[in-house]
Amino acid sequence: MKLLIVDDSSVVRLAIERDLENGHIAEVDQAADGEEAVRLYREKLHDVITLDITMPRMDGLTCLENLLKINPEAKILIISALRDRSTALIALKRGARGFLCKPINPEELREAFELLLTD
Amino acid sequence: MQMTDQDIRIFITMARRYFEALEPKPTLVIEPPFLRDELGPLLEYTGIIPVSGRCQGAVCFTANGGMLETILALLKDKRRDDAAKRDLVGEIANTLSGNAREEFGSDFRISVPNVIVGPRLSADLRTGGRNYAIPLNWRSETAYLLVSLK
Repeated sequence: MKLLIVDDSSVVRLAIERDLENGHIAEVDQAADGEEAVRLYREKLHDVITLDITMPRMDGLTCLENLLKINPEAKILIISALRDRSTALIALKRGARGFLCKPINPEELREAFELLLTD
Repeated sequence: MQMTDQDIRIFITMARRYFEALEPKPTLVIEPPFLRDELGPLLEYTGIIPVSGRCQGAVCFTANGGMLETILALLKDKRRDDAAKRDLVGEIANTLSGNAREEFGSDFRISVPNVIVGPRLSADLRTGGRNYAIPLNWRSETAYLLVSLK
């Protein structure tokens, strides 16, 4: 399984990678902004993507749309500090499969990830 | 319109929630906020989040390297270098201000963090708002959540 972690914070990217370490994941790529994420996804079509929203160059909601244009079946989990209901609804309406708020709870992250895998 | 004490309580709640997520038995003690003429003080590392929309101004989290190293350790991040501390302080500022949208709503618009390294008495930010400093005492160190919005 290939995982793409998209967040402008390297601390967050590494934490997500550590929290999700298990036998399922064969390959992990990281992107620090939406543009890099789209480029990497076009190349490798990762099985699961975790995606931040507030990022430089291309924000997560725009990135989400671009990833879904490449593959409408992309499994995308939003992980954002934006804790308001309307942002979560917009992300889910645009095609995200889940929405988690920062600070990340490792157990919630693993549960959401497992749900995505069985989806 | 200026920020009210109720608005500042929202940021206190977000800070408490962040530290509670770090460790099972949090030891954070939040002192009463105080007002300053300028936005500060800034400690060794400061993450600044510009805010627009329903409020104009900035939310900052400022801490010394020692506290940031402790947080990195709790996050099981082995790095202790300057880049990791800059990254972390920006991410904490982003998390605290982004979480505040739970109360302020989606028109509380935040931008990506700017990071300042080096202590100083104040940030050269003219927001036109009141400058609140919220002392966060944690594991024998003090950080500040600085809020200047109108």
